[in-house]
Amino acid sequence: MQRKTIHLTLNGEPREWSVYPNELLLNVLREQEFLTGAKYGCGIGECGACTVHLNGAPMLSCLTLAIACDGADILTIEGLARDGKLDAVQEAFLEHSAFQCGFCTPDMIMMTRALLNENPQPSEAQVRDYLRGNLCRCTGYASILRAALDAAAVLNVRRNIHAAEERADA
Amino acid sequence: MRDFELLQPKNLADALDALAQNNASVHPLAGGTDMLVDIRAQRAQPDVLVALQNVNELRGVTRTNGHLRVGASTTIAEFLKNPLLTEHDALRQAASVFANPLIRNSATIAGNIGSASPAGDMLPPLLAFDAQIELVSKNGTRTMPLNEFFLGPRKTARNANELISNLQLPISNLQTASAFYKLGLRQADAISLVSVAVWLQRDSDMIRDVRIALGAVAPRPMRATRAEEILHGQIFNETNVKEAARVASEECAPIDDLRASANYRRRMVNVYVRRMLEQAWRNF
Repeated sequence: MQRKTIHLTLNGEPREWSVYPNELLLNVLREQEFLTGAKYGCGIGECGACTVHLNGAPMLSCLTLAIACDGADILTIEGLARDGKLDAVQEAFLEHSAFQCGFCTPDMIMMTRALLNENPQPSEAQVRDYLRGNLCRCTGYASILRAALDAAAVLNVRRNIHAAEERADA
Repeated sequence: MRDFELLQPKNLADALDALAQNNASVHPLAGGTDMLVDIRAQRAQPDVLVALQNVNELRGVTRTNGHLRVGASTTIAEFLKNPLLTEHDALRQAASVFANPLIRNSATIAGNIGSASPAGDMLPPLLAFDAQIELVSKNGTRTMPLNEFFLGPRKTARNANELISNLQLPISNLQTASAFYKLGLRQADAISLVSVAVWLQRDSDMIRDVRIALGAVAPRPMRATRAEEILHGQIFNETNVKEAARVASEECAPIDDLRASANYRRRMVNVYVRRMLEQAWRNF
């Protein structure tokens, strides 16, 4: 097997990786980049613990070959906060204590963030449906659901304020 | 994970060359949600994988003179977004219960077909739409009914040097409706115990044409042709629908396994064939 050099963007920064064909994205993130937010859970696509955003869509990094990420834009939980400020989804998870052991928290937050990018005002049923592939064995999901809906509400208020300010400026 | 060589062709011609020239164990790689799991579990041991992600010829969904053409690399997520696909109830309903949203972003329609699980979620609706499958190799292109492509559990008519290039679904807007249901043991990541897809064409009170397809109740996804014959050209009423559902439950060949007994599966085929016929009829 030969290594191949690939170029990509990781959490907003350019990266060059030298990877073997059988290396998984999850392993490169954890063992070369030391970004350990994404976790190895089941390895067969049923738990969602390894969720990261690949070109804007949530993906299972344990079922993605690193070599296939040449030119990709990857966002992990470590890149979600901007300028030292937590993302609204992270704040909502803190506010609602939407975690116990924390193992699934990075994937739940990345999945919720992806949902709100796609659908800024999801119903409770839509949140439940979207998070269906992400398992939590502690919380019973109730606090996660509340956090997701609250983050949507907060972001909606912020958007409205922003729009009002833009109108005032105009 | 075991070692393998990964080829990343940039077009279809190069992909077909790669499949033709490698005598060793070579296999196409689409979304990877089955293949990478199978490699790690040592159920698959390819020496060479031909990754199809950069092959643009396998992408795209188009509609031309009565046919919906679905590219092999179309992801399951696209079945929930592309209006050309979402307008067909059975396709959309199957995609919406396919594994989970994360898998759906990677998994492709050709991958689901190529894996040829008797329980593959997209297979009954494609059979109900009478899909034709196109296979391409360096030697040329051939097309066959999808119903003839599945030979048994995980066995297909694809030769090692061939790729699934696209699916062609004959589409008529003339009074047609469809419905799909998957019976699983849980809401996410369920492997179906039974799945049922129906497609109907109506002519006032009469069933002008009908197709019924069943998943997870035979060595391969199957058409319930005897049940279809009972309804063909007949009035849509309770007696006919009940009789067709009963016959469908007789002509399937389910097994006992850890998820359900054969007997339970037969009974559920009876229930869900009836319900899906009624649901499709209500959709007119």
